[in-house]
Parts: sequence; structure tokens; C-alpha cells
Amino acid sequence: MSVIINTKINGQSVSASAEASTSLLEFLRDTLEMKGSKLCCNTGECGACTVIYNGKPINSCVTMAADANGAEIITIEGLADGDKLHPVQQAFIDTGAVQCGYCTPGYIMSVKALLDRTTKPTAEDIEEAVSGNICRCTGYNKIVDAIHIAADRIAGRA
Amino acid sequence: MEYFEPKTVSEAVALLAKHGAETKVIAGGTDVMVDIKFKEEPGGLVNIKKIAGLSGIAENGAGLRIGALVTIREVESSALVREKLPVLWESCHQFASLQVRNTATIGGNICRASPSGETLAPLLVLDAKAKLAFADGEKTVPFMSFFQGPGKSSAGINGLLTENEIPYPAAGSKSVYLKHAVRGAMDIAMVGVAILLTPDAAKNNAQDVRIGLGAVAPTPVRASKTEALLRGKPLTAALLKEAGALAASEASPINDQRSSAENRRWIVEALTRRGLAQTWKAATGKEVA
Repeated sequence: MSVIINTKINGQSVSASAEASTSLLEFLRDTLEMKGSKLCCNTGECGACTVIYNGKPINSCVTMAADANGAEIITIEGLADGDKLHPVQQAFIDTGAVQCGYCTPGYIMSVKALLDRTTKPTAEDIEEAVSGNICRCTGYNKIVDAIHIAADRIAGRA
Repeated sequence: MEYFEPKTVSEAVALLAKHGAETKVIAGGTDVMVDIKFKEEPGGLVNIKKIAGLSGIAENGAGLRIGALVTIREVESSALVREKLPVLWESCHQFASLQVRNTATIGGNICRASPSGETLAPLLVLDAKAKLAFADGEKTVPFMSFFQGPGKSSAGINGLLTENEIPYPAAGSKSVYLKHAVRGAMDIAMVGVAILLTPDAAKNNAQDVRIGLGAVAPTPVRASKTEALLRGKPLTAALLKEAGALAASEASPINDQRSSAENRRWIVEALTRRGLAQTWKAATGKEVA
């Protein structure tokens, strides 16, 4: 049975229908052709599909598309302002926190959600914020560096 | 696949009375969506997220009422839970990842009835109760008798968990939730041990001890023989050794990809001893001698 979904994605109202079994990730990637959020484990373990749902980071692969109804969703496509990257995106590039890049959109959404909550994250806040994101390339240090740099830039400390 | 979005509890239980056998209740979706992708698609989904009145954490007499749709993150973020029910707070704090905690509901964790469900051993030691709705009325069931096997609970296929009634532990009691897993984040417990210890007025004896074991039996269980062994006694190193071994014998673990049964028994023994020593010290100010 298909469900009509009226939602707001990156500030734009969207209306489309999807099967009830469709995940939010499938809705984004296959229905709306927004391929930025990545399909990886499809079980809610790796974080590559992370989007911000009503202000909170969630795994879109284990969220029903139907639950997007009436919600506000921000995806990786919604971060840059024209050619100007979001400070979190720029910091990931500047520190070399991107290698193969597959986990990166999910990381960036988790980090954006963190820095929306606080621009002075503690080591514990950072660990918690990205505990649901797996990166197999970088060894994580450069990602943590990027988070600190992005926080400093957003807060105007750097 | 059929899809239902009931707006009230009575609408939901009427649907479940009719379609319970072929539909699944879905809330956060972190378990059910995985089943849909990797196991089989149910005949229908009953999405209960639009039902009003199943959310919120509120003080209710000498305890808390936590609605079934409250997310794990909401439990973790509640100052009331952290202060009054630290054992439940700890289990939610160690739950999967932030993304999962933002979506997964406490009702889903309970009704999934997985032996390793993170909140279940804490709910057992807190003597909490489930409030269930059925088409023919409501029922309140203590969690001690709620879990009937992996995926099986008193909610059955026609019932809906609406809220959890969690009494505050006795004044002066101390609790701990110890989880053993390979990774700090995202990992499912090989063993989870929840302990609640209440000292007597003079702080010389353990007046009441409750031990909940997760992931070591077909359901989360209380180690009732071990609790009886400890009741009314001062905790000594010799007694803790005996208690650890007895708790391990009360577990009936399986071999699976996360751990062998033998290893699980060892961990039950170690975590029981450790948790008892920690709660004893916190409650009495004394080290186990």
C-alpha cells in the first residue's frame, strides 16, 4: 500500500508517494534521486545514511519513509550555500578527514547536529556524537581534528 | 503490505484484534525495518507513532510513568530518570548509538523481548510493570512475568504496550548496570547485569538485593537464588565469590556469534561480583572485606 508523504527536505516542501515498507533512505535516494545520503549496512549500524530529522541525527535506513510526513529533514545536499561549503564540510577537506568518502556524508550530518547543539563540544560529546558512524579509512584522528576546527570556525574562534 | 496509522489506543487495539496475526507494530523502526529488509515483510504495519498520550515521562506517586513511545534518548536526557532510576539511565546511556537512541523507543525495546534488550534487566530489578491495552480492556503485568521467550511477551500479537510504571527504589539503595561487549558503541551485550542493593538502616547488611541478567537466557531473568543467598547478610569477599558462582549457574546462556555459553557464564560471575562490590560500597561506604 502506498503512502502519500508530505515533508520538508532542506527547506523545500516535497510531496511524493512511497510503499509503506520504504525506508527514508530509499525514499531520498530512489524516489527523490538525492544520492548524497549513503546506503551501506542498511541495518542502522554504520551511520552512512545519517540525516537530521526534526533537529536530531538519525539513521534514515531504519526509519520509515512514512515518518517523514510532517517532519523537517536536512540531508548532506542541504548544507552548502551555493559554492560555499558548510564549515563542517570545509573542515573535513582541510584536515584530510575524507579518504574514500563513503562514510563522509553521514559523519558530516552527525557533526552538524552536534555543532548545532554546542560549539564547544567536549571530547565526550564528540565521541558520543559520532559513536554511530564507522570510518574504515582514516583511523578517526583526522575526523576528530576536523570537528574541533569546524567548532572553532563556527564559534568564530578561528 | 497493508499500512495503518491509528490515532488512538482503542483504534490500534481494534486493528490488532483483527489483524494481529499478520501485522507488526512499528514505532521507531530500528528493529522492524531491519526485519523488513533482511527477513520477511509482514502482511502489514501498524504504525503507533501518531497515537497521542503514549509519550512523556512523568512522576506518578512514588515512581515514574514512562510512555511506550518515549525514545531511548529522551530517557537518557531526563534529569528525573538520571536522579531516581540511575540503573535505567545507565542502560539507555550505553544503548547502541546516538542515531539509534534518537529513534528507538523504550516500548519497542521492551516488546522486542530480546534477551539482550538493554533496558530489560534494569526494568526487572526495578520491579517495574507494563501497562497493556487489548480490545477487551487493560492489563497491568509485572515485567517479572512479561517476557516469555525471544520475541514473545504478554503483549502477544493483539496487545499494545502503552506505558511503564516504574516505582522508585527504596531510599538508600544503590544500583549499577554493567554491560560486557567488544565495542563501547553500537554493540549488543554479550552479558548485561543490573544490580540494585538496599542496605539495612545501620548499613551493616544487604537488606534487599536484586540481580537482573541480560543476554544469558531465553528471556532477561532475575538471579533469585543468588538474591536469597545475599539477603540480610554483610557482603564479604567470600560471599561475593559464592554469589558470582551461583549467579553463573542461574544463567542458561547459548553459544552464538557474540560469545560462547561458557564465556558468558564467566562474565556473569565476574560482573555479578563486581556489581555487588560497587553497590555495596556506594550504599554502605564500606569496601567488601
